[in-house]
Amino acid sequence: MKRENSKKNEVALTALRKGEAGTVSSVRAGQGIGRVFKKRLLDMGLTPGTKVTVVKSAPFHGPIEINVRGSRLAVGRGMAGRIFVEKEKK
Amino acid sequence: MNEKKLLIALAGNANVGKSVIFNYLTGLHQHIGNWPGKTVERAEGTLRFRGYTIDIVDLPGIYSLSTYSLEELVSRKYIAVERPDIVINVVDASVLERNLFFTLQLMELETPMVIALNQMDIAKGKGIQIDSAALETMLEVPVIPTVAVKGVGIDKLLEKAIEAVEKGSNEKPPQVMYGEEVEKRLGVLVKKMKGIQFVYPPRYVAIKLLEGDKEIDQEFGRIAPDVVSVAKKLAGEIERLHGHGCSTVMTSERYEAAGCIARATQKLVPPIKPTSEERLHDLTTHKVTGYAILIFSLLAIFYSIFTFGDFTSGLLSDLLYGLEPFFTGAFGTGIIGALVWGGIMEGLIAGITIVLPYIVPFYIILFFLENSGYLSRIAFLMDNVMHKMGLHGKAFIPMMLGFGCNVPACLGCRIMETKREKLLAAFVTTLVPCAACTVIILGLVGRFLGLQWALAIYLFDLVIIFALGRLAFKVVPGESTALIMEMHTYRWPHAKTILQQTWFRVAEFIKIAFPLIIVGSFALKLADVSGALENVAAVLSPITVVWLGLPAITGVTLIFGVLRKELSLVMLGALLGTTNFALVLSPVQMVVFTLVAMLYIPCIATIAALVKDFGWKKSLFITGFEIAFAILVGGIAFRLLTLLT
Repeated sequence: MKRENSKKNEVALTALRKGEAGTVSSVRAGQGIGRVFKKRLLDMGLTPGTKVTVVKSAPFHGPIEINVRGSRLAVGRGMAGRIFVEKEKK
Repeated sequence: MNEKKLLIALAGNANVGKSVIFNYLTGLHQHIGNWPGKTVERAEGTLRFRGYTIDIVDLPGIYSLSTYSLEELVSRKYIAVERPDIVINVVDASVLERNLFFTLQLMELETPMVIALNQMDIAKGKGIQIDSAALETMLEVPVIPTVAVKGVGIDKLLEKAIEAVEKGSNEKPPQVMYGEEVEKRLGVLVKKMKGIQFVYPPRYVAIKLLEGDKEIDQEFGRIAPDVVSVAKKLAGEIERLHGHGCSTVMTSERYEAAGCIARATQKLVPPIKPTSEERLHDLTTHKVTGYAILIFSLLAIFYSIFTFGDFTSGLLSDLLYGLEPFFTGAFGTGIIGALVWGGIMEGLIAGITIVLPYIVPFYIILFFLENSGYLSRIAFLMDNVMHKMGLHGKAFIPMMLGFGCNVPACLGCRIMETKREKLLAAFVTTLVPCAACTVIILGLVGRFLGLQWALAIYLFDLVIIFALGRLAFKVVPGESTALIMEMHTYRWPHAKTILQQTWFRVAEFIKIAFPLIIVGSFALKLADVSGALENVAAVLSPITVVWLGLPAITGVTLIFGVLRKELSLVMLGALLGTTNFALVLSPVQMVVFTLVAMLYIPCIATIAALVKDFGWKKSLFITGFEIAFAILVGGIAFRLLTLLT
């Protein structure tokens, strides 16, 4: 999957640092099981336009802890790399 | 009418206190099984209330009603096909928006429902105030605020549920209004469906067809393929209009609706200082303190369980073996006496001395950790390691259980999402040395060769687990999956719920394991008294003596180990006539014997647990593989160690 981005500031969720926030622009998942996980993310509230805040990154390239719609989620790093957000300017 | 019956289903997200409400309502009148043909758990219970006999089904905790997981499919089908009189939707007041997203989907199923607005106390702690009356008005569904762990509001919830059934309103609950582009197309589809009878209501079918729901595509496609193809075309139109997939668009709009309701009914006054729950969360997920706490907790848990287990196990077995004279008195010391005592009773004792001392405390601690929220933090910290085996963080939990006993650990693999992950996790789990293996490792290698050798064997096993897990992950077809997990706010768990959950797990264990342990023990005793065991030793000697370099008699004791692993050591002592194994086994033989006993086969109860969830074929494959693998490793170890010494 290409990671070139047409919009400015659009980065993978993994590029956000602790405390930074962004708005979900897309979840890029391929076919097969990727679709299942995309659907799961949507069902957990990561729909386009939703604000996401990175609370913490687990050590040693572990999962990322995010805050979305008032709930706290842990998302595996691989999956987090497929979530693209527009970074919020500070 | 004398007997008034009601069927109530509990539905809601995971970790919202659904099981607390379920346990509060049904007490010990419950039954836990599997949904027919599925590895999804089904909890049912009954209670009497206001002259009604009420059956309650606790549906799995889910976040949506699509068909992307077995749990979701099972729940949706249950509501549509079994048509419970009313659904109690348990909603976590502290995460209102996401919970309402699920509520709105239940409403799309057009099922009569009431809402338990639960965990009001946690919401309050987070500075969230909810106007439940306003929520009731907006949703047009009764809303009852509850704090399930304290029993607050539960009776009222039940009253309201019964009241709603008695009123029996045929009015449809209000529906989410999607955007104009979507609504127009839903209208077209619903019109086309006129006159077609289907389990789900027409609007729901239209929504799911647009979303490309696999199950409904297939089932409805059999009745009206033309409608499905029109839906595909319409979904394509929406995708072009919005630039996102149709399913994404509709999920977004549904979430928008949930967000609107949440914003209109809740007030947020975030506390100025981070709460103690927050600080605990930070500490337990921190890169230094998090792991330190994790290691410390695990060591403390294992140490206390083994100390307690060892002590109680010894006590119980002394007590139970004290019954032997009565049995020999009643049945004599002949063949019948030997079969009754050595076959049936010793099997029963073997079972009892593992359940009470080890499994009960293990479950209590497990449920304490789960209900408090710590298990999800463990999964968060261990995700990375587990990924190397194609699993994600949650799989660490059954593995951890496996150190106590493989049976609950294999059953615990149900928490994984896909079939493949469940199987991989179960396979890895059967390799974890359980309490019984620990008895062999410590009792033979630890006692006669020193603790460092016992630790080396443990480490070696961990390496094997990791290597085989990785191998299985490469061999079993399918894609690697990802962790997507909610980490709910820490809370003090509800003691009664923990005890009830423990009780039902232990009952399940007894049901699966005891018959097999007793029958197996009886069969072995029968083989013993008929002299067949000596033949077995002779038949197995090419493996035991030639390949593994062990005394021939170990062939017999290893067979006993199938019942319960440490029996292979106990029997070895009995058959060799001494427990001072240093006299009869060389150090190399001790290591080889321990390695083989540790790896060679999941015990009979574990095999039964595997069969229950994965069927005979896969279970026998795992069993066969592990026997072959243990013999291979044992033989190699024998040769290598002989060379070295």
